[in-house]
Amino acid sequence: MIRRWLQGTAIAFVAGVALAHAGDSPVDTQAPGVLLSRQLAARARVSIGDSVTFASDPEGTRTVTLRVAGIYEPTPDPMRFTAQRLEAHMHLPDLLAVVADGADPADPAAREAVDTINVKLTDPGDAGRFAAELTARAPGVAATPTGRARDDDPFAVLDRFHLAISAVTVIGATAFLLALMVIRAEERRDTVAILRLIGISRRSLLTAVAIEGLLIAVIGAIFGVLTAFAAEGLVNRFFQARYDTALVFLRVTPSIALRSVATALPLGLAAGIAASWPLLRGEILSLFRR
Amino acid sequence: MAVVEARRVTRLFPMAAGPVAAVRDVSLSVGDGEYVAVSGPSGCGKSTLLHLVGVVDQPTSGEILFDARDVAALTEAERSRIRLVRIGFVFQRFFLLPMLTAGENIELPQAEARVPVADRRARTRELLEYVGLADRADHLPSQLSGGEMQRVAIARALANRPALLVADEPTGELDEQTGEHIADLFDRVHADGTAILVVTHNPVLAARASRRLTMKSGSLVS
Amino acid sequence: MTSLWLAWRTTKRYRVRAVLAVIGVAVIGALLFDMLLLSRGLLASFADLLNSGGFDVRIVGSEGLPIVRLPIAGSTRLAAELRALPEVRDVVLIRIERATLWSNERTSRTVTLVGTTQTSGGPYTIVRGDDLPRDSSSDRCPLLVSRRLAASLGVEPGSSVQISVSPEGVRSALPPVACRVTGVVNFFFASTGEHSVATTMTALQEALSVGAVDADLMLVASQPAAGPAAAVRAIQRVRPDLRAYSNEDVVALFNQNGFAYFRQISFVLSSLTMVFAFLLVATLLTVSVNQRLGEIAALRALGISRGRIASILLWESALLVGGGALLALPLGGLLALGLDQLLRQMPGLPERLHFFVFQWRAVATHAALFGVTAAAAAAYPMWLTARLPIAATLRREVVG
Repeated sequence: MIRRWLQGTAIAFVAGVALAHAGDSPVDTQAPGVLLSRQLAARARVSIGDSVTFASDPEGTRTVTLRVAGIYEPTPDPMRFTAQRLEAHMHLPDLLAVVADGADPADPAAREAVDTINVKLTDPGDAGRFAAELTARAPGVAATPTGRARDDDPFAVLDRFHLAISAVTVIGATAFLLALMVIRAEERRDTVAILRLIGISRRSLLTAVAIEGLLIAVIGAIFGVLTAFAAEGLVNRFFQARYDTALVFLRVTPSIALRSVATALPLGLAAGIAASWPLLRGEILSLFRR
Repeated sequence: MAVVEARRVTRLFPMAAGPVAAVRDVSLSVGDGEYVAVSGPSGCGKSTLLHLVGVVDQPTSGEILFDARDVAALTEAERSRIRLVRIGFVFQRFFLLPMLTAGENIELPQAEARVPVADRRARTRELLEYVGLADRADHLPSQLSGGEMQRVAIARALANRPALLVADEPTGELDEQTGEHIADLFDRVHADGTAILVVTHNPVLAARASRRLTMKSGSLVS
Repeated sequence: MTSLWLAWRTTKRYRVRAVLAVIGVAVIGALLFDMLLLSRGLLASFADLLNSGGFDVRIVGSEGLPIVRLPIAGSTRLAAELRALPEVRDVVLIRIERATLWSNERTSRTVTLVGTTQTSGGPYTIVRGDDLPRDSSSDRCPLLVSRRLAASLGVEPGSSVQISVSPEGVRSALPPVACRVTGVVNFFFASTGEHSVATTMTALQEALSVGAVDADLMLVASQPAAGPAAAVRAIQRVRPDLRAYSNEDVVALFNQNGFAYFRQISFVLSSLTMVFAFLLVATLLTVSVNQRLGEIAALRALGISRGRIASILLWESALLVGGGALLALPLGGLLALGLDQLLRQMPGLPERLHFFVFQWRAVATHAALFGVTAAAAAAYPMWLTARLPIAATLRREVVG
């Protein structure tokens, strides 16, 4: 509820800033401080030390004048990454002066003073039990642990979605890889035929093919990981600029890099062997190019 | 009248150590219905000369006149047209399209020349009989022997009734006996009025020509 | 002997690599098709859902997204005023609360209780029983129960249950009210895992122990001749303090905020799949051309024009990409079913909302994108063959 009021005061705030600047008022070091989000400070063109006025509505009802004590980068919220983070942090009494019509926050019959309470537990492992007990004792209060995602958490679902997309991409890439390996094998048809003709064993040829396939897979995997790291920087910079947020959209962790390499290596090796298999197993004379 | 005439042509190839003259100030003409053979050691420039005369390459200096027209003044499309209808090319390595049958390989240049389907089918049958492969029309190159492939290649080169047949080592990949059969076929083509310019190491084939030339170090010596 | 025919014969000759290329393009194409479905699917499904109730304007008492609800003061009187407007055909009041429903003294469920003034044709389909009665005098608390809830509690039309409302911000629990199940329904807007029940506003008033209940959402159906935009303007003139949104406005708001992630991922993955398909086919064609340089040089020496050879390559690309793109459609359809199932596990989403919705526009875009990809993939090989030095290539082939 308080948050909704605050959204509504954005226009009033900006107007208040304009008024303060227009009046060319000196820096008021006695006024209480307020922290503004970077985005709000940029939009309102205020800096640290400036005076700003908050009002509950565009008409200027119930105002409070505060001093910009600092500018902060809001904690990125992936659920709201498209939202413009026009926010301010102030002391609760200052906020109540704007939104609550003189109500005493200590009076239980007064309007709700806050709509969210963040609780830091001594033992984070107690979060589930604490939330359950609080909900049972205080009907109408919803207590939710903010820790590990549950299975039906939106980001857990998105994680599975991404995994499915990755699986599909790997299948497509495997077909691609096989096609290229088949072409390579066809190019070396004569070479393989000659080697077999002069007595080189299939086992030796298979070992050579396997080593070659493995080398190509290793080089390809390393190149892929390096490309992923480069792409990480580009993607994050692009979307951070696009949405004016510090949220990290893409992160290539060592675990992800290892998983990618662990998938690529056996696939590369298997594709090389599979493509060369007909050359190793077929009749020698049928291999000579016509 | 000369079908093709090369006037003091030189062909230089840029190399790291300096330009190399593969053909040096050579003049040559092939008359209507003439059979010319060019021989010489490997690397003497005979294939390069063949490519120049066959309008496949351009000289660094000098002129190539085909049907009395300066080839250098023509566009690539016009040169392509000359190669399609006035010149037939036979290669050492046959270069038949592996996915087309013998008959289809022979039809291909005719299709490019927009010969109607019925006419080109008739011409293809005629040519296959001419080269003695009437019963192999539907066979792929992989199902033919080396000599048979070269005979199909010759038939392909004759498809559009060219004035000049140009052959680069046509027996180079064949055994002696097969080479003789190819030489017989060339005789027949010559007898039918087509001019031939052949580059060859094969003395048997060279001996069949009405004019024999020798190249050495990029120049014609006889 | 058209270029297409020659391209087909070449593709047939190298059938293993061609089949693999088509499979690769098909799998990646399926992903592209799905991303195209996703880019507008969610919005199309959401719009369908909004329009399914027959109302095209929503009024809420708060700013921002019309899902955060504040009671609309004087909503009953307002409804009468709005019905009198020439732009308005019908108005329904909605109030939503959390409640507990008992089927017997031991078995209970937390439910979403929807109080409505609409007694027929609401946003649900009746599975068993009857709709809410028009006249509530015989039934003080008629109840429509969701199918899943009915199965869970073992209730049927005619069953008696008790309901106790837990309004937000109120610490004390209200006494339960006896209700009768009149029908078992599938709610359009119910999310997976959510238990929903609907009753009349009168019954909700009694459950809340209040004399009158303000709605926190009003649904308005505009007159067909006027349209929703005119209705919104008329409503704003009557009550400028409220927020009236046409269904298009709601969809546009969600498109800007809630769907941004799916729009972005759809764009990113569409672009990546295009690049992938392009790389696949371009690489295959280039390698294939490099393998056949001697053949191509020979064809040029025989008089086959550059244009002809270029068009053969273009058709080869079209066959690989076109074959893959065609196969991608049914494959993409199957994949979309699976991905849709996966994404609908998100909490709080209406069961009837889908992420992937078939649209012919997506098929057209898919075809156009692959057409461009085929042309682009053939560009470099075509350029290679156009610049091919015939004599040098023939020499190299002989020596090689």
